Amino acid sequence: MGRLRKKGQAGAAKNYITRTQAVKKLQISLPDFRKLCIWKGIYPREPRNRKKANKSATSTTTFYYTKDIQYLLHEPLIQKFREQKALEKKISRALGRGDVGNAKRLESNATRPETTGKPTYTLDHVIRERYPTFNDALRDLDDCLSMLFLFANLPSTSTVPASMIARCERLCLEFQHYLIVSKSLTKSFLSIKGIYYQANIQGEDVLWLVPYKFNQRIVGDIDFRIMGTFVEFYMTLLGFVNFRLYTSVGLKYPPKFDQAKDEQSAELNAFTLEGQNLVSNGEDGQEQLTNGEAEHQVDPETQAAVDKVVQKLKGAEDEPSAAAAENGAEAEADGEAPSHAIDKFEPAAPGGDVLTQLDYSGSDAANLFANCTFFLSRETPRHPLEFLLRSFGCKRIGWDAVLGEGAFTTDERDPSITHQVVDRPVVQTTAEGEGEGEGEGEGESKGAQDNQTSQKLGPNQRIPGRIYVQPQWVWDSVNDGELKRPDLYAPGAQLPPHLSPFVQPVQGQYDPTVPLEEQETEGEALAESDEEMEDANGGAEAADMDVAGSDAEEDEEDEDEEDDSFGGFDEDEKKEGEQGEEVGSDDDDEAAQRQIELEAELTGRPMKEKPNKAKSKKEEARKALAKKAAEEAEEHERAKGMLSKKKRKLYEQMIYSNNKKSAEAEKLREKRRRIEKQAAKTKGKV
Amino acid sequence: MAVLNPLSGDGEAPQQYKQPSRKGKKAWRKNVDVSDIQKGLDALNEEIIRGGVIAEKASADLFTIDTVGDASVTKKRTTKALRSDEIIAQRSAVSAVPLRKRPAKTSDGLLPVKRQRKDWVSHAELARLRKVADGEHDSPITVKDASYDIWATPAPDAAPVVKAAVPEEHNFIPAEVKPKPPKTLRHKPISLAASGKSVPAVAKPTGSYSYNPLFDDYAARLQAESDKAVEEEQKRLAHEEADRLKAEATARSAAEADAAEARAEMSEWDEDSAWEGFETEADDDEEGNGKVSARKIAKRKTTVQRNRTKRRKADEGRLKHMAAMKKRDEQVKRIREIAAEVAEREAHRAALVQAKSAAGSDESEEDVGASEVQLRRKKLGRAKLPEGDLELVLPDELEDSLRRLRPEGNLLKDRYRSLLVRGRLEHRRRLPFKKMANVRWTEKWSFKDFRI
Repeated sequence: MGRLRKKGQAGAAKNYITRTQAVKKLQISLPDFRKLCIWKGIYPREPRNRKKANKSATSTTTFYYTKDIQYLLHEPLIQKFREQKALEKKISRALGRGDVGNAKRLESNATRPETTGKPTYTLDHVIRERYPTFNDALRDLDDCLSMLFLFANLPSTSTVPASMIARCERLCLEFQHYLIVSKSLTKSFLSIKGIYYQANIQGEDVLWLVPYKFNQRIVGDIDFRIMGTFVEFYMTLLGFVNFRLYTSVGLKYPPKFDQAKDEQSAELNAFTLEGQNLVSNGEDGQEQLTNGEAEHQVDPETQAAVDKVVQKLKGAEDEPSAAAAENGAEAEADGEAPSHAIDKFEPAAPGGDVLTQLDYSGSDAANLFANCTFFLSRETPRHPLEFLLRSFGCKRIGWDAVLGEGAFTTDERDPSITHQVVDRPVVQTTAEGEGEGEGEGEGESKGAQDNQTSQKLGPNQRIPGRIYVQPQWVWDSVNDGELKRPDLYAPGAQLPPHLSPFVQPVQGQYDPTVPLEEQETEGEALAESDEEMEDANGGAEAADMDVAGSDAEEDEEDEDEEDDSFGGFDEDEKKEGEQGEEVGSDDDDEAAQRQIELEAELTGRPMKEKPNKAKSKKEEARKALAKKAAEEAEEHERAKGMLSKKKRKLYEQMIYSNNKKSAEAEKLREKRRRIEKQAAKTKGKV
Repeated sequence: MAVLNPLSGDGEAPQQYKQPSRKGKKAWRKNVDVSDIQKGLDALNEEIIRGGVIAEKASADLFTIDTVGDASVTKKRTTKALRSDEIIAQRSAVSAVPLRKRPAKTSDGLLPVKRQRKDWVSHAELARLRKVADGEHDSPITVKDASYDIWATPAPDAAPVVKAAVPEEHNFIPAEVKPKPPKTLRHKPISLAASGKSVPAVAKPTGSYSYNPLFDDYAARLQAESDKAVEEEQKRLAHEEADRLKAEATARSAAEADAAEARAEMSEWDEDSAWEGFETEADDDEEGNGKVSARKIAKRKTTVQRNRTKRRKADEGRLKHMAAMKKRDEQVKRIREIAAEVAEREAHRAALVQAKSAAGSDESEEDVGASEVQLRRKKLGRAKLPEGDLELVLPDELEDSLRRLRPEGNLLKDRYRSLLVRGRLEHRRRLPFKKMANVRWTEKWSFKDFRI
């Protein structure tokens, strides 16, 4: 017989503690306990056996680890909570005695730490405890950023004070400034919930969601005290993260903040970034977000070259301090220059998984909009557009005066503008004729009437020499890393669908962004060429000679189209080039065959094996394919036999779902093929 | 003379005149006769009103020595004064309390104005103080701008690098022992996903969430969501139907039971009356007797019966034991085989686990977000998790322009729910207001005291 043990002295009964017990042990109130748990990262737990943990009590309660609560006892913040509790008791006693003056005195003494010498408490040590390294903090930044961006866009209420909102907004804008300077924003996505952004900060992917402006409804079933607690924690966290990030690119934190400009809703432009080192402050340390207000525009390439020369000189003089005094961001970019090339992940075996390539925010992608000057019309969302354009290298952004302070220009007619973002429907005006000739005069008169919106151009009036696009163009360009064809995004045009950049293509699945040839299976390719063959043959019999090249033409046109819509992928072009060559050789073959056919027709002799050459080739290919498939099937069957029953079931299920998916993908490809063919035909006819 | 009298009663303390003695405990409790004192006080009051206490006045004030005699006395005709004059003449010699508000004391400008009450507290302030006393205080922490790199210094739990100047044996002050954070603190919070995988804070959005989605993505999601809605509705309808059926069945069985009871009573009564030799309708008075006789009383078991059960139980136990032993013997005989079997099963399980982990090596995180994830059945805490909003633009509201986009869902709710699903918090039912004490209002009984 084993040692007798008393019940409830070991195991779950000892390891877990209920919430009420915890509150009693810590001697604080329940709301304070909840706060403390949120800050310290103590989560509710679940014992394997509730009955044992709860000592046979049946009430549903929340459990915590006893050790966690024990550790909480050492928390300095708990002292503050207890002080507060004592104060509350004192005040309520004074009030109960009708001694209001005394109550007030007690309260005011407690809330004046600078005069009473009592310490103020911050969450700094908690941040350090919960995130021992900076990377830990970055990993948890998703939630932090989403929450702070959300609170920055809330209306102020009694539960969400205006000061909290202002601080959230400031922290978020500072963080955005870092992203702009370091060019670490990678993707963005316009969803129905809000705008998603993804940035790569020191190798860590951070994804967050920003709400659209003026959209937040406050619903009843949210505990704002809890949310406020989280926000307090995250504000402290983001402050430290910002500090670290700013110093890592050689900027001073906090940046200078212009209250007056902020009140004019300058947002990003209310901040002035400064270099960290006081020595270099005079020369180039002062990096201000100029928005093109500088007297002369410096070509970025020239600047880079000059910087390099300067650095070399400095290196020769052996002045590390001076070198460090260089603007950090540029110095870093220069330092990385030789190591630009990043290895590309390629699947080890053909048909393997598509591997995600490392997103490298090299200078080419980060300076996507470097040579553009944008103008945002008043109906466009200014803040996200400004942030996105800036983080991809745009230096000059103007917008309508109603959108706030800090624009490069508020004049829509500025000749330096190259792109204008418009989201207005095309108005069908009756007097179309006068729009062109007298448009300007009319526009001015209109502007005089309606100076609040400062709209100076008439409806539908366009200024020549600039590109008009809808906002989606910016997002699609950013996600694809190239400037998209603007005519697809022209005002009034039917926009192409806005695809999510976060969806990874799966091998064998239909991907709308990739040309058909790259994704179709061998069997499909063969079937397609078969069809084409038949078409061609039918055509040859029905019509005469000029159908001969139809196939080739079609292919070429297809290619052209794809070039247009999907040009810019380097690999794509290469592959297309190869295919083009193949098509060319095919053309040669076909021409020769046609020649033979014609000759045979003229001479009246039956054709020999030559005409069937292509067909037989196909036949062979098909046979080989079928054989391969049969072999594979056999192999699979054999392998399946080796498996245990359970595994086999699993495997079969997997095969079944895969087949279903691939059938779907095949259907989609088929549809696309048909549409493309139709388009090509109509094109050919025209 | 009291000027103000209460409406009811004589306004005097209760008294007992005929109290012979105050010896004994009880006697003291009785009301003491203070009427002479009262009278005296009243007289004093009267005197004060009439111009001061006579006993305290100097003789010169009270008396004059008349040496001449009054000449006007003879001339004066005594006329009876008016009643009104009499009443007015009864004015008290004590001046009335001034009701006029006086301005605050002014100074000559050199000295500060002396305020009457310095510790004056406004009503708003008082309300705030009450709230503070109730536990509504500001946040105990202050959020300051970051002014240093928190990650630059060595970790707080790392051992100090610099050694103490005093050698160990001479240092009698023990080193400060810092509490070590327990391992449990690093445990991951409980994910509420059915799969048990951790849910990402912000899920990567699929193409169907686009404001201008690809048709296939959108159609698939719309179909899925509508299927879900239909299923839910069907479930609700089925539930309703089940409830209805249950209620019906209950009603039916209750009716049947009633009927049966009535029948039983009737028959008994009928039997009784038949036995008695006459037939009447069931009488209300007899109802009580009928019910008791209907119940069957369980009989006591005999010793024989008890012994029989005991024997049977023992037999059963013996047989069971024998079967178990037999099985064990068999197993002992083929112990090798069993060991091999177990080993194989273990290997199989291990292989499965391995295969699973290989299939989804990076699937420690669920790909879908908190709004879409399949929740497990067991809750964390008492309250049910709030439903996520349906984030779907209906086909007729689908716009291809960003300007006309009407955002769906509520991000506040989304964030809050995400916290819950990731197990950072337990959900609590929101209490819109505090539970109040049950107050009952009554009218004072003095409303009856009035005199016309």
